[in-house]
Parts: sequence; C-alpha cells; structure tokens
Amino acid sequence: MDSNAPTDQREPVAVSLDHVTKLYRGGAGVHDLNLSIRVGEVFGFLGPNGAGKTTTIRLILDLIRPSSGTIQVFGLDSREDCVAIHRRIGYLPGDLALYERLSAREILSHFAHLRGGLAWSSVDKYVQTFDLDIDRPVRTLSKGNRQKVGLVAAMMGDPDFLVLDEPTSGLDPLVQLQVRTELRRAAKEGRTVLLSSHDLAEVGEMADRVGLIRAGRLIAIEEVAQLQQRSAHLVEVKFRTPQDVSEITALPGVTSHSLDGPILHLEVAGDINPVVALLAKRDLDDLSIREPTLEELFLKFYGATRD
Amino acid sequence: MREQKRSTWSWVTGVVAFCLVMLSIYPTIRGNHAFSKLIDAYPAPLKKLFNVTDYTTSVGYLRAEVFSFMAPLLISIFAVIVGSDLLGGEEERGTIDLLLANPISRRRVVVEKWLALLAGVGALCLTLEVTLGLVGPLFKLHLGWRPLSAEILGLGLFALFAGTTAMAFAAATGGRGIARGAAAAITVAMYLLATLAQLVSALQPVQWASLWYQTLGNDPLTTGFHYWHLAAVVLVVTALLVATVELFDRRDLAT
Repeated sequence: MDSNAPTDQREPVAVSLDHVTKLYRGGAGVHDLNLSIRVGEVFGFLGPNGAGKTTTIRLILDLIRPSSGTIQVFGLDSREDCVAIHRRIGYLPGDLALYERLSAREILSHFAHLRGGLAWSSVDKYVQTFDLDIDRPVRTLSKGNRQKVGLVAAMMGDPDFLVLDEPTSGLDPLVQLQVRTELRRAAKEGRTVLLSSHDLAEVGEMADRVGLIRAGRLIAIEEVAQLQQRSAHLVEVKFRTPQDVSEITALPGVTSHSLDGPILHLEVAGDINPVVALLAKRDLDDLSIREPTLEELFLKFYGATRD
Repeated sequence: MREQKRSTWSWVTGVVAFCLVMLSIYPTIRGNHAFSKLIDAYPAPLKKLFNVTDYTTSVGYLRAEVFSFMAPLLISIFAVIVGSDLLGGEEERGTIDLLLANPISRRRVVVEKWLALLAGVGALCLTLEVTLGLVGPLFKLHLGWRPLSAEILGLGLFALFAGTTAMAFAAATGGRGIARGAAAAITVAMYLLATLAQLVSALQPVQWASLWYQTLGNDPLTTGFHYWHLAAVVLVVTALLVATVELFDRRDLAT
C-alpha cells in the first residue's frame, strides 16, 4: 500500500521529494526517493543505522546537494531559496555539536538574532519547559543537557517545520515525555514535524505516518492508525497445566501460534470472541490480549522484505 | 568571533612581549661602534638574506630584528591558523550544520568569517604599531609613524593574504589540516622567493610573483607606501575571497 500521496490533493504540502538520488562512492546514499509530507503532519523516518535517514534530512536542509531530483519545502526550491526556507525551520541534528566555550544563552541569543530577532520570551518558554541552565559553558554540560540546548534551539520561535534527528537521544524518560508533549502540541497547532528515530515505539506514539528506509530506499510508507487497525491481536495464555490446544489453534482467526510448556502465544486476526469463548472453558493462570507495537509490526514487515 | 577572542588576546600579548624584548635590547646596540664593526664583517649574502644593513640605527635594527622575518612570520602564522580554523574548524567540529540551518546563506557565513580574520590581523598590526611607536622612544628607538605604518600595512596585507589562502583551502576541503599545510607552504615559498632572489639572479625575473616582495620587498620602512604594489595584493586577496565564497557554496558539507 502506498499512502504517499496526500489523501486530499488540495492539502498543502510541506516537503516534497521528487525522484531524489544522492550517490556516494561505494554505492551508499539514497536512491529515487519520492515523498510528500503534508503541512501539519507528523512524519516518522524509521530505519537501521546507515539506511539514509540522516542523508535525507541533510538533503532537505541543503547541507548536501542531490545528485538528481528536486526537493521543495513549502513550495520553494531547497537550494535556491534555502534562506527563506530556513526562516521557517527548526533543526536538531543527530550528531549535535555546539560551541563548547560559549554558554547556552550566548548560542541561543546568536541563533535568535540570525532568525530575524526572535523575542527572548519565545526562547525562554522552552528554556523553562526543559529546565535548562543556560549560563554555564556548554562544555560543562552533560549529554542530556546539551541535547536540551539543541531542542530549545530547534523549537524556539515555534517554527512551521520541525526537523528532528533522534530528538530524545540521551534524555531521561521525564524529559522524553516533555518532548513528546511539545511535538504533539506543535502538530495540534498545524505545524509540520519530521522525526527520525531508531525508537519505533516513540515514533509510533507521535507520528501520523511512518516511512521505512532501508539501504537508501523508501520501502514503505504507512499511516500508523491503519497499520494498527490491520494488525492482529496478540494473545498470551498461561494454562495451569500443560494441555492440548489444537481446538484453539484450529480456529479460523488464529493466524499463527506457538506453545512453550503451559504458555501459548496466539496471533488472532479479526473477531477475538471465539478464542475467548474457548479459553473461558479452561483453567488459566494468566491471560493477556494486546495490540502489537509498531516495533513488532515493522520488524515483521522488515523481516518479510529481507528476501 | 567570540570564540576567537581568547586566542587573539594571547597573540596580542605575545606580540607585545616580543616587541618589548626587542626594544629592551636596542639601547645596548644603538650607536655601538664595536657592534657595527662586527656586523660589517658578516658575509654579504648573509646580510642580504636577513636585511642587515645599518644594524645600529633605529630603522636598521627594526628592519633586521623585527620586520625582515619575525613579525611578518608571526602574524602570518596567526592568520593561517585563524583562517583555517574559522571555516575548517566549524566543519570539523560539526557546528556548521546547526549554523547553516538558520536563515543565513553560506556566502554570508564566509564573508563574516573573513571579516573576523581581518579584525584579528588588524588587532595584531595595531598592537605592533602602537607598541613600537609609543614604547620605542623610551628605548631611544625613534621611528616616524609614517614609515612604521607603511611597513606594518605591508606586513598586515601579506598576513591577510596568508589567512585568506588558508580559508580558501578550508572552503575547498572542509578541514583545517590541508588548509594550514598548503597556506603555510605558499607563505614560506613566497618568503623564500623574495629573499633568495636578492642572492640568486636566476630568480629575479620572477620575484614579482612573490606577494612578500610586493608588500615588504621595497623596504617600506625607508621608502614609504607603494600604492600600486599594495593594490595588486588587495586584488589578489579579493580574488581569493571570491573563490572561497564560491568553493564553500558549491560543496557538500561533511557530516
């Protein structure tokens, strides 16, 4: 299924990549990327290390230039109009590097000035949200605090388009939660978010659509909601004693099963009731029924496309 | 620029210290006939190489000890280090990504960084001029402001050329190492061409190609400003800056 085109052709497009290829010596890079991200959408890039997520992001930001193809952001050419585009972008690089001898305050003031004189209040809002000590030199900050500086730099001024490469890397769980809250708020306000991550669970929670990149190619783009709807229930049953389960596994909805002593795992597509009815007749120690995580879905998909 | 401040201040201190040491020696040399005789006995090629003529006078002493080699070299080294670091350093450290994600063109980044180089070289030249001009007389070393300014302007322009060359290589390669090496090699080559051409007649027809010769070879300390020569160097520096801007604008930035 290709959910690449906007569902409504009149929906404004934030980013469009049209047959974008970037070739490096040795065959690495990205090949023939076609992608449209809608305004107000949260789009997640998923893929293993070296798949091309960061390359794609750096192409969009005009830090590197494509070998062929065109990239447009808000209808403007990514290279010719890069200054106009960057006025509307907040970027957090995957390998965040800051000016070590300066304080966060000095760095953020400088960037606020470059962005046309952002009011300090719009910076301070995020400084407070992330509880950042902005007067210490950056070289004295921990990795998590440096990441916070990067986040504030990206989010300050509430830019129309947030491009975040591994945004929660190095952050403790509470701060990760704050980041997710802020991104959800950004999306609610109609701003566009492009998120790149290894963390499938995190992307699954925040993204409207996800794109899977592998070896420089976009091999799937899926709406998260549809993915979850299509997927099967995962049932885990612990019987009091090992027993014959062939009656249960023979049910038409059971797409796969595995039995390990008294523990039975089932994948059930469609109606769960016949399975529950049969299980209710047995002596159970424990029972859980859940939806698969995005991780499980993608690993299944990724594993299937390996051949 | 704020990041460069600390290292520039140490260089300024170094220049002041160097000047003070040189000045403090002068009183013992000034008008010292025994010393004069010693210098006269030096082989002529050696004297030519180090610009030693009238060593015991103010002009001769400064020319030999400060301006023939040390001061131009020191300030050129500063310019090469700063020039390579301004662009190449940012790219090597990875801070260039975050900078360029802001609404600032690559061209503007290069020009602003070059202005920082200009300011740094200017600061050191001013230090040299003020220290020698104001403190010199305390050590009986008298030099007019005009000859001093002429010499230091030439020196400063040469250093600016060295630094801009380093920036150009950094813009082309994305790193400091090659930039420093190439700029240093070119600087030394220009110095050697200018100096050796005084001894080796075969080199004289191409002496003009050395920017060291163009800026300092006419002995501004004695002969004053040579505007056409300086203009030629300004032209070269401008061309290098334009090349730097273009090179940096076209290249993929390293991760």
